[in-house]
Amino acid sequence: MLPAKRTDAAHDQTLQSVVDRLTGGFPDRPDSPEAWVTAVRRLAPRAAEYAPFPEGLDERLGRMLVGRGIEQFYTHQAAAVGHTLAGRNVVITTPTASGKTLCYNAPVLSAILKDPSARALYLFPTKALAQDQLAELHDLANRLLQSSEAQIGVFTYDGDTPQDARRSIRGRAHVVLSNPDMIHSGILPHHPRWAKLFENLRYVVIDELHAYRGVFGSHLTNVLRRLARICRHYGSNPTFICSSATIANPRELAESLVEQPFELVSDSGAPRGEKFFLFVNPPVVNQQLGIRRSYLAETRRIAAEFLKRQLQLIVFAQSRLTTEILTTYLKDDFGGHPGTSEQIRGYRGGYLPQRRREIEKGLREGTVRAVVSTNALELGVDIGALDVCVMAGYPGTIAATWQRAGRAGRRSSRSAAVLVASSAPLDQFVVRNPSYFFDSPPEHALINPDNLHILVDHVKCAAFELPFTTTEQYGRHNVQEVLSILEESGFVHRTGPVDAGPEEDNGDGTWQWTNESYPADAVSLRSISSDNFVVVDTTNGADVIGETSFTSGPPTLHEKAIYIIEGTLYQVEKLDFDGRKAYVRQIECDYYTDAITYTKVTVLETFERSHGEVHVSSRVVGFKKIKFYTNENVGSGELDLPEQQMHTTAYWLTVPKRVMAALPYAPDDRRDGVVGLSFAMRQVAQLLLMCDRQDIGISIGSGEQGDETDLTRMGVPAKLSEEPRIFINDNYPGGIGFSEPLFQMHENLLARTRELIAACECQHGCPGCVGPVGNIGPLAKLVALRILDLIAAGTAALPVSA
Amino acid sequence: MSSLADRLRGVLAPAGGPKGPPLHDVQHRRGGPSGPPDPAEILGGEWRESRGRKFLVVDRKYSPGYRHGRVSVADCLPPWARFELLGGTNGQTLFLDLETTGLAGGAGTYAFLVGCGWFDGGVFRLRQFFLADFGAERALLEAVGELAGNLACIVTYNGKTFDLPLLETRFSLQRMATPFAEVAHVDMLHPARRMWREEEVECRLTYLEQALYGHERESDVPGFEIPSRYFQYVRSGDARPLQAVFEHNRLDIVSLAMLTARAAQLLEEGPSAAAAGREAFGLGRLYERAGLMDDAVASYRRAAGGGAVSVRVEALRASAIVLRRLRRYGEAAAAWRDLLASPQCSPAYAREASEALAVHHEHRVRDLDMARNFAVQSLSLQGTSARQQATRHRLARLDRKLGCTPPPPSAALF
Repeated sequence: MLPAKRTDAAHDQTLQSVVDRLTGGFPDRPDSPEAWVTAVRRLAPRAAEYAPFPEGLDERLGRMLVGRGIEQFYTHQAAAVGHTLAGRNVVITTPTASGKTLCYNAPVLSAILKDPSARALYLFPTKALAQDQLAELHDLANRLLQSSEAQIGVFTYDGDTPQDARRSIRGRAHVVLSNPDMIHSGILPHHPRWAKLFENLRYVVIDELHAYRGVFGSHLTNVLRRLARICRHYGSNPTFICSSATIANPRELAESLVEQPFELVSDSGAPRGEKFFLFVNPPVVNQQLGIRRSYLAETRRIAAEFLKRQLQLIVFAQSRLTTEILTTYLKDDFGGHPGTSEQIRGYRGGYLPQRRREIEKGLREGTVRAVVSTNALELGVDIGALDVCVMAGYPGTIAATWQRAGRAGRRSSRSAAVLVASSAPLDQFVVRNPSYFFDSPPEHALINPDNLHILVDHVKCAAFELPFTTTEQYGRHNVQEVLSILEESGFVHRTGPVDAGPEEDNGDGTWQWTNESYPADAVSLRSISSDNFVVVDTTNGADVIGETSFTSGPPTLHEKAIYIIEGTLYQVEKLDFDGRKAYVRQIECDYYTDAITYTKVTVLETFERSHGEVHVSSRVVGFKKIKFYTNENVGSGELDLPEQQMHTTAYWLTVPKRVMAALPYAPDDRRDGVVGLSFAMRQVAQLLLMCDRQDIGISIGSGEQGDETDLTRMGVPAKLSEEPRIFINDNYPGGIGFSEPLFQMHENLLARTRELIAACECQHGCPGCVGPVGNIGPLAKLVALRILDLIAAGTAALPVSA
Repeated sequence: MSSLADRLRGVLAPAGGPKGPPLHDVQHRRGGPSGPPDPAEILGGEWRESRGRKFLVVDRKYSPGYRHGRVSVADCLPPWARFELLGGTNGQTLFLDLETTGLAGGAGTYAFLVGCGWFDGGVFRLRQFFLADFGAERALLEAVGELAGNLACIVTYNGKTFDLPLLETRFSLQRMATPFAEVAHVDMLHPARRMWREEEVECRLTYLEQALYGHERESDVPGFEIPSRYFQYVRSGDARPLQAVFEHNRLDIVSLAMLTARAAQLLEEGPSAAAAGREAFGLGRLYERAGLMDDAVASYRRAAGGGAVSVRVEALRASAIVLRRLRRYGEAAAAWRDLLASPQCSPAYAREASEALAVHHEHRVRDLDMARNFAVQSLSLQGTSARQQATRHRLARLDRKLGCTPPPPSAALF
């Protein structure tokens, strides 16, 4: 049975009482890194601010909105709609549930009502989000049909669209909901079929803009450059409307993705109730090894506190596996009586759409009391507003954390968000340095659309779509030079002016596509190279169950590696490196594997002191077996796999001779100090760059050519050079733009690294700071701190270049 | 730091990666005194010029006596009385085939050779439009549009999926209306597959002309080589490698016209003219689609009477279904029986036949014992669970009508 609807006051009282219980009755106390609850913040409530519908909004749309109970806009909606109606590009960064979608649906529908030939293109990073928006837009279009008899066609167009429906969609859609991958490989190369869309394209909507960072964002910029060429060909010039989660540089990101000026709308006029934000750090149970109580058990306990008092809850887990574990825990504790509808649900990718819709509906209607989800519910899927959000583990970025926390928060009553830290270094850093999270701006999203690997691929696609002229520009590099090199390989051919009809002739020559291939097929927007390894399950027959990029193949698919998919464990029996196949078999075991990779970086050219172009060669030399939950090291093995090489960019820290010499420790201990320092720097770099773990690589060496050394069993040189360097390299060929900002943040990086190591409670190192004891010697923590102090004390506060 | 050009070369051909084929020498320029000969001479055509861009037109005429193997142009002349059964009309008809720069489609795939053929009095004429210069595409398409001015019908081979969509893309890329939008289109691939496809053989034109009229091509250029020969021409201006491509295109169009004539004539003459069981069977399919049921039955009977066993089984089943639809139940039952008696009859067909015979005996002949036998036989053959369920119902009903207690089904089966 559902609890009776409580008054807001009673509800607020209940929520307050749980917060009091968790904080020991002192919700306003200062941050205390050593305590169980390390930080509490109270975010003040805010009243709604309204503004009338802007001039120029179609009256029929206004009437329909009034009929739907929307008599005026929130101030940010009015501002955003005002900009777009005036033809200015806009990026909107207001919080979750502030009515962002209306910011783009209103001007788009208004434009179509005024001119039925007008068209709009929506881009979502995933197909599921497009489906979600389809429902919303269908509803608006139906209301307009009833109230004004306006026929507005809204369709998704993606890999799931049946072939026989495609032609009719091309003819009938006013609004096409798609994703960048489909635009890239399905729409732009076939633009003549979409002539009607491109001739009349008025708006391009890019939702979840913050998703387009790194490689994906760099590809998207190029897809949008190609879109712009096609629009020019058909004579249209669309206005862009972007929405983003809170990141430090939304306008900059929008401007670098679209390469046009943008207006920023960031002040939300939507009301918000009071909200508490708590950081919880599970207590240390083994001081020596720095092992803490399981964060999953802690999450279960905290979720129970809220659930017991009938508060509606969302729990975010880091993986599909932990999602299922936590769902099981909470069902054990709070499952309804048999036969009643499920009140505790799990939610993740891999569930069928129907089941997802049912859960979303249950959340909106209150029949589902708690949902445990992966990041699948982080993006804009409509689940209404809940009372409480509990995060099992730090989501990895400030932006994603706010995004998830925003899932709890009603317009008029109190809500709470709780972050439960795991023992991972990033989690430990954030939970022990709350001001980093609460007081600094969220991360910058970085892209590098002129990475040559990415650029060349898209120049090919663009040349396929429309011949380049000999005066055309594209991107930051000289595209004419790119085209001449492509001509050397026979991809294009330079020829005279093209006959463009009786009137036009600008006399420029052109570059014609002279290759049989369909270049978009060879380019995946989500990675830099389309070369990959496939994973073949031989348990029963031979089924392909997964794939992985070329670079992450060897470390994750070497022989005896444990490969995990949806919580099922497989062991790799054979890696066919040349055939790019890994043969795996299902297995039951209580450990996973972590590859030991030896990476050697050679500096090719220094741009400025301590970052530059490098050659990276890496080789998987062995692996460790690590026990689930306790993370104990329970075995290891040696491997000999082919070397992988790439040119990329890197940032480095040089430990000066003077500093090395001043360390009063044995050579092995000094080495461990440098290794420990690099371990901690990697975590902080990842934090500062807002990137994923695999986006950057780390290594230690001289940076000089050809000094082969013996390795320790952890894959680092046994003996360091006189002036060792710690390299943090961009893990994509050509670099995606991670090394330069790291160089800029050099001092901050060292200061944060020092904080991380110094504040850690462990004695000799743990996974939360310089790496677990066992991987490194007992003095690593001490030596690492000493190195940082000596560097800071020296005149060379800046990185020194050799 | 390496220059942009060097870095680009590194990106395009990573060290140790696969190297592309070496490019042909691209140094010599077209039209120069020591350059390659004029393509118009090599290919036997005439330049056409429009707004300063040139494309090449190659015209050929095939006299009534021109033969492809056993068949001559004179044997093929329209009008064809039953051409409409193929979806055509006996007006101005164009046989069209493209040579393209790839198979992928999309804006970057060009039709560099548009070949068109048509009957003109007693002769067959052929015109090829050649994109000698990319800049002339618009002018070339205008010329194709002119030729297609009063067109009633277009005939292609696999044109529904390939040639016409590709040409449509070229027209819309030039912001021109396609001349083929309102025109009847006969894609001969489908009727050809029905009538002439043998197991394990790709139903290509070269195969058909050999199988149907004994024509052997000499030194035909393989399809996969065609784009690279064109690219070679684009870079060098030397049209010699394209001679074979032009001939290939012409032979395809002549073959296509003869093939269409053969199909139309067969439809007119009826199954007695069919050379083989498969041909008769395909003919039946075409008649059936056109609603000419009596002709369809006659064709199926001809197909069932001779030819390969697989064709025989298909033909018996097809004729049984048509006869049932015509309410000629007795003849349908006979066909089902023949089908059941065929050694090559698959379990699925046997189940279908015995079920049809059970229905026939229960409701029309009213021989309940026979009906029961066929129902039991049907149940013994694999079917979907819904079908099995329906058959069990039938059995139960038959048993009620027969007034006996049903033996357990397993006993009835063995």
